[in-house]
Amino acid sequence: MADVFSSAPSVQAGQAPETAWRFPWGPVSWLVWVVASLLGIYGVWIRFTQGHLPFGYGSYVPWGLWVALYFHGVGIGGGAFVCGAVGYLLGAKGFRTPSTLRTTIVLSAAAILPAFMAVWFDLGHMDRAHRIFTSPAFTSMMAFNAWMYAGYLAVAAICWALSFLENPNHLKPLLCLGLLLAIMFPSQSGAFFGVVDARTFWHSALLPMLFLASALTAGAATLLATRSIFDADRCGDETVVAEQRLRGVVIVGLLVYFVFEFAEFSIALWNPYSHRPAVDLILFGPYWWVFWIVHLLLGGLIPLALFSSARPAAWTWAAILVAVAFVSARLNVLVPGQAIGEIEGLQEAFQHPRLKYLYDATLMEYLLGFFLLAVGMAVFYVGQRIGAAVIAASRQTT
Amino acid sequence: MSMSRREWIEGAALVGVGVAAAGAMVAKDRFGGTPPDPKGPDTVRPLAVPIPARADEDPLLRMQRDLVRAMQKTAEERRWCMIIDTRKCVGCHACTIGCVAENKLPPGVVYRPVVTEERGEFPRVAIDFLPRPCMQCEKPPCVPVCPVKATWRRADGITVIDYDKCIGCRYCLTACPYGARTSDFGEYYVDAQAMDADSALPVLGPSALWEHAPSHEYGKHWNRRGHQSPMGNARKCHFCLHRLEVGQLPMCVTTCIGRATYFGDASDPNSLVAELVAQNNTQVLLPHKGTHPRVRYIF
Repeated sequence: MADVFSSAPSVQAGQAPETAWRFPWGPVSWLVWVVASLLGIYGVWIRFTQGHLPFGYGSYVPWGLWVALYFHGVGIGGGAFVCGAVGYLLGAKGFRTPSTLRTTIVLSAAAILPAFMAVWFDLGHMDRAHRIFTSPAFTSMMAFNAWMYAGYLAVAAICWALSFLENPNHLKPLLCLGLLLAIMFPSQSGAFFGVVDARTFWHSALLPMLFLASALTAGAATLLATRSIFDADRCGDETVVAEQRLRGVVIVGLLVYFVFEFAEFSIALWNPYSHRPAVDLILFGPYWWVFWIVHLLLGGLIPLALFSSARPAAWTWAAILVAVAFVSARLNVLVPGQAIGEIEGLQEAFQHPRLKYLYDATLMEYLLGFFLLAVGMAVFYVGQRIGAAVIAASRQTT
Repeated sequence: MSMSRREWIEGAALVGVGVAAAGAMVAKDRFGGTPPDPKGPDTVRPLAVPIPARADEDPLLRMQRDLVRAMQKTAEERRWCMIIDTRKCVGCHACTIGCVAENKLPPGVVYRPVVTEERGEFPRVAIDFLPRPCMQCEKPPCVPVCPVKATWRRADGITVIDYDKCIGCRYCLTACPYGARTSDFGEYYVDAQAMDADSALPVLGPSALWEHAPSHEYGKHWNRRGHQSPMGNARKCHFCLHRLEVGQLPMCVTTCIGRATYFGDASDPNSLVAELVAQNNTQVLLPHKGTHPRVRYIF
């Protein structure tokens, strides 16, 4: 492992390249992590001691906030990897160093692993989660998806390890395979819903494209925020160029996503056919503010305004807004699709809070969401520290 | 930093192998595999009805004879069918409650709700009732979505769940257009009562052992204590399979006070259900979904 960083631009003296904070993000990140951990651990305690009882989902709306976070997490993981890997393969400025590739891979893992945890917490039998690998049915998009993620993580881990070598032989071909998987699984997240014929709102060929667009947008935004906050390479011009390019990807991604969304909604609203009730629910239902304020304003218009600024600090805020607020895009597909039943009057036929076409996420669900955030941040930080430690060790041996 | 020719070829090969492997995985499960249930002579049940048939007998007795005759065939020769005559349904919910009692269903789990629909405007109003069991579809959309092969359609047409395999992901709940699957989230009636001290009934009490009595779905012994299955699982109507095996009609059929629910083997031309299908213009719910339900309605 000699000269592991021979091709990388210079690293500022005394700083480990993968873990260098840009002020004031260090203390802010630690504060967020501590608060999220404390709140999250309480949520996990509640989940393990009280099962599913304190949570808001039921039998007619079986999936809630955690499943939305799951799809958001895997979207970020896939989208970030696509941006970083394409940049590396093309030798693009800002993405061509092994350390930037490692940052991308670690970020991707840090998004996907908590996403797995989200869906694990959602299972009725967490102890049987392994069955999806030991006894899979590939007629199910869920099993297919799980295997894709597992394959992707294995490929990404090998790429991460190979990136420490000088002139690794198989890194780029493996990145091609990783790229295929990273494009496939966010698209499959859309197909996961699209193949469900029972839910009229979901049963659309546009959904895989919508999920891919949101994955690339949120993934690029998270990568941009991470690169800004950590400034990992300290390679000056390279980081600035990377931020500019990622800003472009996020802006295009946002515009494409909103065009897709407009196509979906306008057709539904033009003629009051079967999609209409779900679209009405999104736009004018009790959670109208999730679309208009969180998704459109915080996740779209304000970031676009901030991205138009010449100050990179504004881009960081814009990227954070997109990365966080785009979870609403998942929620606005997930919940309305379930909240419109095919048989009218079914929820009145047998009275129970879990037999309603309404979903209100409970405080406990949000607490567990904070736990997932804390896990993601920890995975990223530890992953970067390990990378830095490997480099330091290799320098000592040489 | 561009890719060399060798790297391009290697990358393309890896991508090709990945796509081919994914396709093979799907094809294997899509076109192969048979349900694990027994078939053939092992499924024959030599049952009998000791009472001679009469022309004016209760339809329940007629269906009992039909059931016994069907159980003398192999599972793959039976074609279970339920017909619900909504004109006779009085909305008493006895079928719903009978099902809850038979299968020890906890709060929030229901196999056979009765949907009430009001029509018209006062004073010209009418109420329709629509019992909704599992439709036991010939093409059940809930089956292929299961990621762990925990649900399948048996040879006799009943879609079942293996509670010991189900991971509780609830994908099947979303896939059923009829909302016929519910999840057992682990609730108890007594606990729910205990939360509200004013309405807690002393007769229920914390020592209400009735709520911990095991159910016998699928002919097994299920006790939910300690988060054991079926707690955490998807659950659904199975035409009271455990009762059929011992020559008993499904509970919802026997508790129907209006004799609005009929059950039997549609492949037997002498059965009551076959007769009803021939005499009436029976319909299925949501035919456009292409699920081909085995539950038919007379409106």
